[in-house]
Amino acid sequence: MKATTTLKISISGARGIIGDSLTPQLAASLAQAFGTYIGGGPILVGRDARRSGIMLSEAVTAGLLAVGGQPIDAGICSIPTFLYLTKAHKAAGGIAVTASHNPKPWNGLKFISRDGLYMTPHQTEEFLDIYHQGEFAYVPAERYKTPTSIADGNEPHLRKILAHIDADKIRRRRFRVALDCNNGAGAVLGPRLLAAFGCDVVPIYAEPNGEFAHDPEPLPENIAEVCRAVREAKADIGFVQDADADRLAVVDEHGLPLGEELTLALAARYVLSKKKGSVVCNLSTSRVIDDIAAARGVKVFRTKIGEINVVEKLLAVKPRAVIGGEGNGGVIYPDVHPCRDSFTAMGLILEALAETNRPISALAKTLPRYVMIKEKIEGSAERAHRLVGLLKKQYETRGKVDLRDGLKVEFADHWIHIRPSNTEPVIRVLAEARTKAAARRAIETLKTEIARLQKKL
Amino acid sequence: MKLLKIGISGVRGIVGESITPPLVMDFASAFGAFVGGKLVLIGRDTRVHGPMLQSASAAALLSSGCDVVDLGICPTPVLQHAVRARRAGGGIAVTAGHNDIQWNALTFIHSGGTYLNSFQGAEVLDLYHLGRTKKADTDHLGTLTGDAGAAEGYFEALGAFLDADAVRRARFKVVIDACSGAGADLLERFAALLGFDLIPINNEPNGFFPHDPEPRPRNAQQVVSVVKAVGADAGFLLNSDVSRVSLVSETGESLSEEFTFPLLADSYLAGRSGVVVTNFSTSRMIEDVAAARRCPIVRTKVGQSHAIQALFQEEGVLAGEGSGGVAIPAFQSAFDGFLTMGYILEILARSGKRLSALAGALPRYHIVKEKIYCPPSIIHSVVNAAEALFHGRAVDTGDGLRVEDRGGWVQVRISATEPMIRVIAEDRNKERARVKADEILHELELLMR
Repeated sequence: MKATTTLKISISGARGIIGDSLTPQLAASLAQAFGTYIGGGPILVGRDARRSGIMLSEAVTAGLLAVGGQPIDAGICSIPTFLYLTKAHKAAGGIAVTASHNPKPWNGLKFISRDGLYMTPHQTEEFLDIYHQGEFAYVPAERYKTPTSIADGNEPHLRKILAHIDADKIRRRRFRVALDCNNGAGAVLGPRLLAAFGCDVVPIYAEPNGEFAHDPEPLPENIAEVCRAVREAKADIGFVQDADADRLAVVDEHGLPLGEELTLALAARYVLSKKKGSVVCNLSTSRVIDDIAAARGVKVFRTKIGEINVVEKLLAVKPRAVIGGEGNGGVIYPDVHPCRDSFTAMGLILEALAETNRPISALAKTLPRYVMIKEKIEGSAERAHRLVGLLKKQYETRGKVDLRDGLKVEFADHWIHIRPSNTEPVIRVLAEARTKAAARRAIETLKTEIARLQKKL
Repeated sequence: MKLLKIGISGVRGIVGESITPPLVMDFASAFGAFVGGKLVLIGRDTRVHGPMLQSASAAALLSSGCDVVDLGICPTPVLQHAVRARRAGGGIAVTAGHNDIQWNALTFIHSGGTYLNSFQGAEVLDLYHLGRTKKADTDHLGTLTGDAGAAEGYFEALGAFLDADAVRRARFKVVIDACSGAGADLLERFAALLGFDLIPINNEPNGFFPHDPEPRPRNAQQVVSVVKAVGADAGFLLNSDVSRVSLVSETGESLSEEFTFPLLADSYLAGRSGVVVTNFSTSRMIEDVAAARRCPIVRTKVGQSHAIQALFQEEGVLAGEGSGGVAIPAFQSAFDGFLTMGYILEILARSGKRLSALAGALPRYHIVKEKIYCPPSIIHSVVNAAEALFHGRAVDTGDGLRVEDRGGWVQVRISATEPMIRVIAEDRNKERARVKADEILHELELLMR
């Protein structure tokens, strides 16, 4: 990674390494640009549980004040809680200090619009223009606002979820639930929500101190602890939240991870059993979703990677899609709020479990089986772009090519996808097939192809 | 023209023009490097943009690896006391003292609780210019804590230093105008300490200054009328960070801010001997007072940094300025408004004299203070050229130009805080002081053309 940049400013916001690229000066300047773009008014400032959060939160507060914004400190809250709060609090916008699942040395800023959504690429471009041009609308003394804070920034989200999930149905089952918050921001609301569902909670790494106990990607190899806890406590289910609690992985009652692709599948199947409507997900999401939607006779819309792309499509579809998300464990249930939300996802899955009277493993088994392999290789976006151009020629005669985000090629029984990451200077390669061997074959073919082409670049 | 004044002990400017978060952060980072990553306390006056500078400073210090304690709204002398009491690496006072509401500043406090001296200030400035600041990684960032307890420790020490019992027995009635500055909300505690009957004015710490936060007669109308109405023993005006005081006597006479220092010195120096430090712009009153006590006077450039540096170099017993700032190093080497008020009340209590009588006993001079705008790009040239106006006379260039005459003196110097040339003339004769100042102002205008 030495050759690549440690600062990434993109439609997903800004991310960098503390003590290196992400300085308080940079954070303040971005906040000044955002405040200038928003044009003043109350702006929420929240942070995930990382140690560096308070430093950046102070920097952002200073930047907002300087351009006449009124920062409202929401304290530590996860990103879905913060997105909902921005809307519920009728703020003019929000800045979340978070680097999602990036490793501990990282932190970042995400910029939120007044409706509680990530800024669209178009909005982000406009506000980054202000940042790059340095045209900040500094205000004189008489237009300064007083910063304030919210005592319990998590409470409105909790109430909203309880209004849209059948909590009574879940309470009757008195589930025992192992919950791994990985000491992230989810630790503030996660155990509190499960308690409200009447669950007996076995908390793991539930200190919101940002000291990630394991790699914060909720991949099966990172969640051995919760698997053991489920077995030892004889829990009905285990949940793993990612570092900012937008994504969720599920562990069955035997302590076996279901694989993060199944989180959305479980939630979507349950929601579609109650409501007829379309589904929106990104290009890299498992075909399981197509099978589930087909069974209900509803459409699936696919988008570029990036939560905002899924959300925009979800809201644009007429009538509004009933569920959406990403195969990485991100469930978007627009009745609560149109964002990836591990809390709402836990609610939907527990409600599904409460309704069926069958164990979670049995529920999972009735889903179509696919195997997806996700890997990343070193390389910049520019390199990915050139690779895509060369690979397209190789693949366009062999399968159905989709160029909306990198290169995705669909074959009858499998697909492959290569694209630059929006959050890290790496190139992601994915393949999905009916069996592990077939998926492995597909990804190895792709990687061999890439290795051969790399030499040409 | 964006106004930014980089002084020895800090940086000052108009918020939104020169004072912006990135600039504040760059200076705070330099200070973080200067203190070597040790604990830093931050306090502010009540200006509406104080939280911006405070947050920006905190972020930069945390990033430099310094732990930070946020004292919130806090008078500078209280902050200075806390830096020493808690053995912190330093402090940052977010205050523009007597400047109007558009201004704010960072003043850097050394681990000894004093303003930085010229060597320390130069080091911070070098670090700023070099950009040689530390950027701690996640595991080495500082931690931020809040603290509202600094005032307790301060008032406890003040109560022990003053003859509080004597003041309490006198049961004074005192009017204090906090000017909605950092002193507001602490006045009751101060009154309780010294057992006087307090009539507070502008005691809301909201930063909406009811008048210029500069303690001097033209801002004293409210205090004067209340002192007369309630029959108070004394009236005090404070600046926004409680480093300066001016006095209103029990007769309702608003005393020039020049009186504060000599009035206190006249009593404090009784039975003491040692150097008294003041600046070149301060009234001759202090010379007469010190001479009577056989204490030598050392004059420095204007500003707390210079005064305190000289205090240490000369091992002085007292420092003060004609602007109403007084430091008693036996308590702390800082211009301290609470100490000044407290000591003056102690003088009243011990002597049994009225404030008007104490002021009346001081030698009378008439001082005229004027200022004239001058673009920073030519300001030094203009002042240098002005030396020709005094041809044939002994010019002291310790701070600008200063010339003594039989009745008094006249000084031309560059303001430390604004792009202004100050002209100060003093004389036993009121007319002559006015004429001296006007002549110089006229000549300066010609020079600037």
